[in-house]
This record gives sequence, C-alpha cells and structure tokens, in this order.
Amino acid sequence: MSPVIDNTAREHVHDLTSDTATIPTDEMFDIMKTATRGDDVFGADDDVNDLEVFMANMLGHEASLFCASGTQSNQIGLRTLLTQPPHSVLCDARAHIFVHECGGLSYHSQASVTPVIPKKGLYLTAEDVEANINKDTLTGAVTRVVALENTMNGTIMPFEEIKRIRAVCDKHGLYLHLDGARLWNASAATGVSMSEYGKLFDSISVCLSKGAGAPIGSIIASTKDRIRHARHLRKLMGGGWRQAGFLAKIARHCIETAVPTMPETHKLASRLATHLQSLGIRLALPCETNMLFLDFAPAGLTAEDFAVELRKKNIKITATSGSTISRVVLHYQVTAEVIEQFMDVATNIVKSHGKPVTTAMETDVKENGNTTNSSIESLGAAYPSGKN
Amino acid sequence: MLRTTTSQRFKNGLIPRNISSRRFLASRPDFYDLTSDTATEVTDDMFDIMRSASRKDDVFGNDPSVNELEHHLGLRSLLTQPPHSVLCDAQSHINLYECGGLAYHSQASVTAVASTNGVYLTAEDVDTNRVLEDVHNASTKVIALENTLNGTIMPMKEMQNIHSLARKNNIKLHLDGARIWNASQATGISLEEYGQLFDTVSVCVSKGIGAPIGSLLVGSNDLVKKARHLRKLMGGGWRQAGLLAKIAQHCIGTVVPTMPETHRLTKKLASGLEQLGIRILLPVDTNMVFIETTPMDMKELANALKERNILISSDDSSVTRLVLHHQIDENAVDKIVQVASDLINTKGYIFSRSSSKTSNVDVSKAYPSIQH
Repeated sequence: MSPVIDNTAREHVHDLTSDTATIPTDEMFDIMKTATRGDDVFGADDDVNDLEVFMANMLGHEASLFCASGTQSNQIGLRTLLTQPPHSVLCDARAHIFVHECGGLSYHSQASVTPVIPKKGLYLTAEDVEANINKDTLTGAVTRVVALENTMNGTIMPFEEIKRIRAVCDKHGLYLHLDGARLWNASAATGVSMSEYGKLFDSISVCLSKGAGAPIGSIIASTKDRIRHARHLRKLMGGGWRQAGFLAKIARHCIETAVPTMPETHKLASRLATHLQSLGIRLALPCETNMLFLDFAPAGLTAEDFAVELRKKNIKITATSGSTISRVVLHYQVTAEVIEQFMDVATNIVKSHGKPVTTAMETDVKENGNTTNSSIESLGAAYPSGKN
Repeated sequence: MLRTTTSQRFKNGLIPRNISSRRFLASRPDFYDLTSDTATEVTDDMFDIMRSASRKDDVFGNDPSVNELEHHLGLRSLLTQPPHSVLCDAQSHINLYECGGLAYHSQASVTAVASTNGVYLTAEDVDTNRVLEDVHNASTKVIALENTLNGTIMPMKEMQNIHSLARKNNIKLHLDGARIWNASQATGISLEEYGQLFDTVSVCVSKGIGAPIGSLLVGSNDLVKKARHLRKLMGGGWRQAGLLAKIAQHCIGTVVPTMPETHRLTKKLASGLEQLGIRILLPVDTNMVFIETTPMDMKELANALKERNILISSDDSSVTRLVLHHQIDENAVDKIVQVASDLINTKGYIFSRSSSKTSNVDVSKAYPSIQH
C-alpha cells in the first residue's frame, strides 16, 4: 500500500486514539477514479451494489445496505427489528448502541433499553440475557431484541457464548442483532469466519471505516425485506447519497488489503501490552485484539504524562485531563516502528518519572461482580471525546 | 423498465468505463441524462482534487476542509417541542419526498398549502393558512419555503413579505435552498441577501453544482453545534469526509458561473418545444421545463430520445420534467427539439391550443421515482 501521508500537516501524527483514524492514502484516489458513477438513491450504482452483494455473502445474509456510519447501520438494523412499542432492547451496559449513539434507540425506534452489566466481567452470557428479559405485557416495555457487540473494547465474545445466547433468543422469540463494528478483528483473532458469526444474527452491522480502513462507511446485513425497508429508513435519516460508487469501491479495496493485516496488528498490540506491563503499567481489560486499556496509576503516572512525551514522537493517545487511564488503539497504519518508539518512550518515562513497582502481569478483572462494576464505570475517561 | 441502469449503459457502450478527465464530457459518445440535475457526472479530475483534501475525522470536527465549508443546522433544531407544526408549499420536497421526516424527526404536523397562483406561496397564502395558538392546535412554529421550487423562482419581494409576517408572529423561517444557486444566478440576488431572511438555510451541492455527495445546513453558531449532534443521531457522523468537502467547494467555484448559460439553454428548449405545440406547465425560470405532451405519448417521446442517447423521465402519464445542468450542451437541446418535431410530424399529432394553463397542476408525477 502507498505510504500514509496526512497531506495537510507538516509531519504525520500517528493517531492511536482510535482505529477510525485510518486515513485515505494517495493511491486510493486513483482507485476511486475507476468506480462507477450512478445514483445510489435509486440503487443505480454498480460499485455500491457490488459491495452490498459482497458483504451480504460474506456475512451469510440475503442482502446488505451501505450506510454512512456505524451509528446509522446499527440504528437502521435495529429499527427494522423493532416494529411497534412498547418494546425494548437488551444489551451490555457499555454497548455503543446505548452509550454512544445519541439516544438513537429511543429516538429512532421509541424503544426502551435494558442495559445489563455482565456478571462475570467481559461479556454478556446466556444467563445474563435470560435473567433480564422483560415479558411484562401489562406495564413493561417487553424485550424484543437482544443486541451484542463483538469486539467490545477490543475484547472478544466467545463464539460458543454467542450460540448459547442465540438459543435463549430462539426459546423466547427474540431477535438477535450484532454491532460488529470490529467483527473483523474478532474473526482474525479467533479464526471463526464472518459468515459463521453472521448467520447467528437477524441483523448485523459491520464497520468499514475503522480497522478495515475505508474513509467512510458501514454495512447493515439482513433479509431482503428488511434491507429494502432499511434503504427507505436510510433516506429518512438523510443518508440517501448520490454518486457514492467511489466510496464503495475504496471500501472494497480496503477490506481486501487492510483486513488481512489484522493478525499483524494484533501481534503488535500484544507486544506493546507485554512491554508496558513489564514496566508496571496495568491492563484494565485483556488485550485480545487491537486495543489496550492502560492504567498508568500503578506506575505513578497520569495519561497526560504519557501523552506529552509521546507527542514529541508524533504519537497521539487519548489523555483526559486528570485521568490515569487511556485507551490505545492500533490499526494497519500503525507500524512496528511506531510501536517500538512507543515502547522506548514508555521505558524512559517510567524510569525517570514513575515510582518503582513490581511487575503486574495479570489483569485484575476478577470473577466477582464488584471489580467488574468499577471496571465498567471507570473506563469512561479512557475514550477520546469531542472535547479533545 | 424505461430507465436503463448504469450497468446497462456501461454494457451498451454508452458510458466508457474510464471517463475522460475533462470536466466537460465532450469526448464521450453523446449521452445526456435530463431526468435530474442530481445526474451531474463525477469526472476523473475530481478525484485528483479530492486527493489534496485533508484527511481528519469529521465526527470530532477535526477536518479543516469540512470545517471551512460547513455550517450545519436543521428544521429539527428550530422545532423545540410538540405540539407544533410546519407550514410549507404542498409541492415542497420536505412535504413530499423526505419520507415523512417532519413527523418522524420532529413530531411536527404539516400544513401543506396549495399556492393560489400555482407557482409560489404568497404572504397571503401563509397568513390564511397558518395555525394559531389554541388548546386544540399544533400551532405553526416554522414556515419553510423552497427556492427554486420545480425550477421556479420565488420573488424576493414575496420572501420579504413572508419574512415580516413570520417575525411579527414569532415564527421561524427555514429555506430549502437546494437550488438557491440557480435562483441567485437568475435574479442577481446574492446568497447572502437570501440567507439573511431565514433562521436556517439548506443548500445542496450534489445537484446542479455537480459534487458527488452532500448538502449543507447554515445558521447560527449555537444552532450549528446542535445540528452536528443531531447529525450524529441520524447516523451522519462520517469520518474522513474532507475529500467530499474539498470537491464540493471546487464545484461551487467552477460550476455556479455556468448556470446562466444552463438557464439560457433551458429557455431555448422550452421555447422550441412550445412552438411545436407542447404545453409548458410552469414558468421556465431556471433549469427545469415541465411539459405536458397530450396527444403525444410520453413514452414514445422518451423512446425516440433514448435512441439518440438522451434520457428523460417518463411513465404512464403525459407530464414530465426536463432538467438541465452544466453538462448538458446546446447540441442536446437542439436534438430534443428535433426528435420531438420529427415524432410529431411522423405521427401527425395535433395539439390543442385552446386549453388554458391550469393552476395547481400536479407535477409530482413528473419526478423520477424508484418504481419506474
């Protein structure tokens, strides 16, 4: 792939605040020129249609729709499953659809939300789901959809657990939706194919603009009927774009070139995690794919301490004022060199500024509920926000 | 299906796969799409311009290219809390073609007014139809105007009258100015002069302007801030959109000055067709011609034009809309008139000259739709 150039800046800044930071490369614009130029409002563009067929097949579904964002593809997918209030969606309390989509579930679907804190820590289990289903047809907002997220905070929901949750949904007549914005990473890490995951869900959203590397876009996949409805909903949301062929074409290109590099990205993340832990920095969550949730407190440092030093090497990380935690996200445009530099900076800063600590190799997400609660609540500051 | 898909056009050799890098597509085999000005074709050199755009994340408002171009607002940001209603022309886009968005996004009722003169709303139309404050009512909180509407221009004087009426009654004003560029080029009135009358203005860059994607909402700083949040709620929080903003800005700069010529050609087309006996349904003020072809079969005309590589909308009715833009040249216009003339002569059609122009013609059938 062509070198990464942020063409408006003097020097390229390596942005590790999110994998949405993947930027278009120069060669991508030449590829865009080869795209078809029909009007997607009328479904008349070949490259968009090709992408939608390609993704539907990949996810084991009848059809898919190319949307402007993960928020749009999630909310549209859920809307097609939520036909009439009173109704509710059951999801992890940390889920993007609940926390970071501007109240979309209430707005778009007039749905209530049952946010569940997973009892055992990292992911919802079939037991979590079953214990929280609302069946109160007199005064309640009955559960209609269970929504999962994989990966969530970079951690993987085991395939077996998803199957168990599917069984629970079938037993109770519920739909199952996946926010698979980063499903690519889960698939790369586990070897379970996108299609194997996809077939377990009634609707599935996967993002193209994060680790997959496209500048814009997300996909919702489901049955032909639901996708037809989804297209209408997309127009209602103002997502009826015209000559979007070039966006589809480049997304396809990125899927084919960036996604296969994910195992390498995961290796780098793991390498970085191991090194930082050896310096006494704690992982607030396991590093299973491309994200690290770092807690600098055991090393006597704040996120800002790190951010300032890393910035000198043109590496950007999230650093909320006063916080000791930060989420670091890798993607295919973060090279091994950048990680080497990160590790060097970390070594130096801990040596010169931090308090000496003994090695803390294990993460402390314990089996009991209390630690999990505090883990979930305390991670908010690790995320980049619009205020930065 | 009369409208061929893009893929069919590629296969038929009507559009070469690698379109010339020149902005004007003169090197292509003559192919003209007059179904809409959204059909403005993306050219190769646009991607070179996009390449020079900044590549930051627009969700966080970090992208300089997007920030320079944008001010985002919406009807939603003007409507605070039901019960409330929006008053607009019955033929307006926000009423007919936005999937019931007013009800959905703002829980607003709609007072859709059929203009008395059949072309644009007057202050009297608005005053007569606005909903007053009453315990039973969803009172009018926003008056939404559209300029151009079906290609016709709302006179500045009328807009000013409506503005005064709105202010007097504490009602907000929104402009769907998707094609305000055309109005401005035709009247000589600047966008700023138009804009100042409204609380929010929406302008489109993907129609006559020719950018591939996009529209802008303009207003005060506070409203824009709110609108950005609303945009995310609607799933419009796109990432590296700098390339879209850059090309939009380029197109505005290069295409807007070509609009007077487009308007001239549109008038020439209208005049030519009218001389053949075809009825022109609405004033030809800018880049659109609405025609009624009885007794000539619209589909016949469309087929004949298709054979000459000219695409027009058509269905079972006898009404259609022809839309010009900077990529439609005089050659195309002359051809259309010629084809129509030949068809009329061959088939011996006789047009009734006595029928008067009816007001409130239902031109909604003239719009291209997905069912066709």
